Amino acid sequence: MGTMDPANSTPAVTIRDVTKRFGSVAAVDGVSLAIAPGEFFSLLGPSGSGKTTMLRMIAGFELPTSGRIELDGRDVTQSPPFDRDVNTVFQDYALFPHMNVMRNVEYGLRMKRVPKDERRTRAAHALATVRLEQFGDRKPDQLSGGQRQRVALARALVNEPKVLLLDEPLGALDLKLREEMQSELARIQRDVGITFIFVTHDQGEALTLSSRVAVFNHGRIEQVGTPREIYETPGSAFVAGFVGSASVIEGAAARALVGDDGPYSIRPERVTILAAETASSDANTIRANGQVTDVQYHGDGTRVQLQLEAGASMLAEVPNVGDQTSLPERGAKVTVGFRRSDMLSLHHAGAEPDQARAHVSRTHESGETP
Amino acid sequence: MGRDQGKLTPAESPSPRSGLRRRASRFFARHPGARVGAQIGAPGGWLLVVYIGSLTALIVTALYRLADDPTGLVTKLDTTIGFANFDRLISEPVYRNVALRTLQAAATVTIIDAIIAFPVAFFMGKVATPRTRRALVVAVTLPLWAGYLVKGYAWRSLLDPGGGALKQVLGHTPGFGYASSILVLAYLWFPFMVIPLFSGFERLPTSLLEASTDLGAKAGRTMRSVVLPQIVPSLVAGSIFTFSLTLGDFYMNRIVGGTTEFIGNVVYRQFSVDLPFAAAYAVVPIVIMVGYLLAVRRTGALDEL
Amino acid sequence: MNRFLRWGALGAIAVFVFAACGSSSGSAAKKKPTSGKTTGGSVSILAWPGYAENGSTSKDVNWVTPFETESGCKASVKTFGTSDEAFQLFNTGQYDVVSASGDSSLRSVANGDAAVIDTAKVTTYGELAPFLKSKPWNSVDGKVYGVPHGWGANLLMYNDAAVTPAPDSWSVVFEATSPYKGKVTAYDSPIYIADAALYLSKTKPELKITNPYALDDTQFAAAVALLKQQKPNIGEYWSDYLKEQEGFTKSSLVLGTTWQVITNGVQADTASPKVTAIIPKEGSTAWSDSWMVSTKSKNVDCAYKWINWITSAKVQAQVAEYFGEAPANLSACTLTTTKDFCTTFHADDKTFYGQLAYWTTPTTKCLDGRTNVQCKAYKDWTAAWDEIKGS
Repeated sequence: MGTMDPANSTPAVTIRDVTKRFGSVAAVDGVSLAIAPGEFFSLLGPSGSGKTTMLRMIAGFELPTSGRIELDGRDVTQSPPFDRDVNTVFQDYALFPHMNVMRNVEYGLRMKRVPKDERRTRAAHALATVRLEQFGDRKPDQLSGGQRQRVALARALVNEPKVLLLDEPLGALDLKLREEMQSELARIQRDVGITFIFVTHDQGEALTLSSRVAVFNHGRIEQVGTPREIYETPGSAFVAGFVGSASVIEGAAARALVGDDGPYSIRPERVTILAAETASSDANTIRANGQVTDVQYHGDGTRVQLQLEAGASMLAEVPNVGDQTSLPERGAKVTVGFRRSDMLSLHHAGAEPDQARAHVSRTHESGETP
Repeated sequence: MGRDQGKLTPAESPSPRSGLRRRASRFFARHPGARVGAQIGAPGGWLLVVYIGSLTALIVTALYRLADDPTGLVTKLDTTIGFANFDRLISEPVYRNVALRTLQAAATVTIIDAIIAFPVAFFMGKVATPRTRRALVVAVTLPLWAGYLVKGYAWRSLLDPGGGALKQVLGHTPGFGYASSILVLAYLWFPFMVIPLFSGFERLPTSLLEASTDLGAKAGRTMRSVVLPQIVPSLVAGSIFTFSLTLGDFYMNRIVGGTTEFIGNVVYRQFSVDLPFAAAYAVVPIVIMVGYLLAVRRTGALDEL
Repeated sequence: MNRFLRWGALGAIAVFVFAACGSSSGSAAKKKPTSGKTTGGSVSILAWPGYAENGSTSKDVNWVTPFETESGCKASVKTFGTSDEAFQLFNTGQYDVVSASGDSSLRSVANGDAAVIDTAKVTTYGELAPFLKSKPWNSVDGKVYGVPHGWGANLLMYNDAAVTPAPDSWSVVFEATSPYKGKVTAYDSPIYIADAALYLSKTKPELKITNPYALDDTQFAAAVALLKQQKPNIGEYWSDYLKEQEGFTKSSLVLGTTWQVITNGVQADTASPKVTAIIPKEGSTAWSDSWMVSTKSKNVDCAYKWINWITSAKVQAQVAEYFGEAPANLSACTLTTTKDFCTTFHADDKTFYGQLAYWTTPTTKCLDGRTNVQCKAYKDWTAAWDEIKGS
């Protein structure tokens, strides 16, 4: 599944300068996007960044204040949801509690007056796709969370929409089930080939599943790119901080270490703690002295927070392999080293560079509030 | 407070009363059954004596009859158990007609309330902003604070065919009669329909409505296929109120009903003349209500109450 | 929300209970705290509204407190709205005396609730109009059970402007051809069947009705049929006289049966249309009330003291004028504030009195003396009234 070049074919979804205001608040502020057919496209961002509002405008539950939305080249900006060839998988699944699984899945086909026999066949096929063929007679409240999730998926997929919209569909599942469903989603998307637009606040999920990711912040898109691009060449301090962890070095500290004002970002796993205060920087490697301010055990690795003598704070990640006695303790003086090329220049820092100064933890779930 | 607490512990200042309290506490802590018994004992006993007792008395009285008397003047109870009163209820068409009229009124009031309350409650539960919603809840329940008679006589002066407000403003009034009784009863019991519906709509996830439109259903179809089936328990819960309240009402007939009579009017008149017969007739609405509750039990509406 | 609902349910029940209470609010006990000395026991009085006023209706209308002062008996008063209610309450034995109308008096006698009156203890008995004493509604087999209080006719009242030509017959209230459909009123009690019977006794002589309270099967059926035919004419029945007064004042009612006291009320209201009350050519039914003493009374002494008080000339003048009825004690006629009060009410007019058919409790033994047939008893009248009103 390669990313299609948007220029070569009509995009499945085109968003042109869309703004949505609720009163004086701009939930979505001048967003433009083109999503190619067959993409697994994620809208990633913290709570309140406008990603869900964007999805609801594509679905037709909200109308944009200004701008234009096209599906497969057709302007649907003002169309009601039932006139759009998209279907949604809701965060709370929104299964009809009074209908059994089969009737839930058939619902969309019934609305389109698909004959009964065909309806049954297609619904059964959709249930097979999500591996629930035996559950047609159950009521939603007799299913587990993961099973409900898959019914919701089948109910949307059975309509063979051009675009499937998924609004944090895995948010309510526990970790293990979420990981299972992630690979399930990826498999299904590969099998059916429908464009998926996936809203999530979980950067790990976005990076794992997507062909491309749009990072939202304050109603705007900070960066659009493949997961690798987003992670390895973040376009802004916000993206650097939000997608994975990064230390941002700028100003005097950057001048001392690199030679100009920056800003630069560096991933913790690219920072090595050296055994002793050894050699100084050379053309490829930068070394700096600092003091350990915090040590956090993270299972697969240990994060060491440092205050550099050059004046910046920096995170280093030490993989938890082999001998752990070499880990520095809080207050210890250490030397860190990293490649000059791992210092990523944040050319056009995002709207809120100061946000990225703090080290953003790997996931943002704890901060998620409606 | 915190500083003083130490001085006040029962352990340090034992008194016969606190000792007894401690013993009682210990007893109840060890016997949770006794605790529950003590808690519900008093109200439970009250319920048993006053409520069940009076109901039993009513049913037993219904099985008595007036003693035979050649003059037709003596009203002595004959406590032989029998179904003479019920035979009379069935054999004399007027009592059947009055019962059917009462039943029809209860059904009509319920339907009118349901039809009006449905969109109002939908708006309150699903459309209105929290602020408007609060205002509407207050507006809808406000009439409950005025007394039954106050509202009844206010409506009487509105409906008065001899120059009431309706006559003067609209030029027409239904006057005093069956239609007015229905109208005023529907007005009186409206909050009892709208509140359960509102709470039903409030609990109905908006995503269900969105899912339905998303899957291609237009508004009407969504109402029929998704909203209505979900709201039926609330609708039935409301109807239990409107239905039973109308079934038991008779005084509104005196205020605005003209010559209309319901079961209650007959019971009221017969009460001082033929008590067992009045009791037998009073059993009719109870039987209807029990039947109704049994019929709706399966819808889950009783969980709504 | 569930909690809210539960309160709502409680509210509903409360409303229901209040509604039920409201129905009897007109007859709620009007107990008055003791005033004056009450050395000699007490008396519990069951009376039509307006018969035993203790100042609770209007501060200036009070002849119960002076009774307490004079007799030393503590008096409590409970009013009733209908004769059925009076009968039922008197039957409980909680009341010492009752102002009984003819449609409840015989029932109270038959049920053993009313005691034979010792007329020797009624000091005023000699002053009372002879034509009111020992009548079928206050005596049985020559024994006196009731001391006459006062009487009045069930008149036909009409709105002068709305009802033209002025009626002289009950036909405008009974006949299906009445042009006043929906604006007629009638007294809401089984005893009203007698009004229909009285009308039929004149308009259908072939029924041979001689006493409207003594109806055999055929006669009774004819009267009931007439009332069923009348029902569409009726806007509202009345038993509470304020309700009838309001109907005429607001013109939702324009004609129907009435009591003089109601007519007085309407005429006294300047905002009200002009009304006239007449006795139509067919005659009228009427009521004649008597005081009865309970067989279960433990306060017989005070009970007689009350009867002596309420039938005394002075108090009779007050009651009669306040209520709008002919006093039983004719000596009262010289004491009324309105000079020709007794003339207006034909208090001493034996001929007038004779034209009226006084409420009497119907029994199986025909009151007109027929022995070859059984007459319909009050219980049948009540059932028939259900049938008329419920139809």
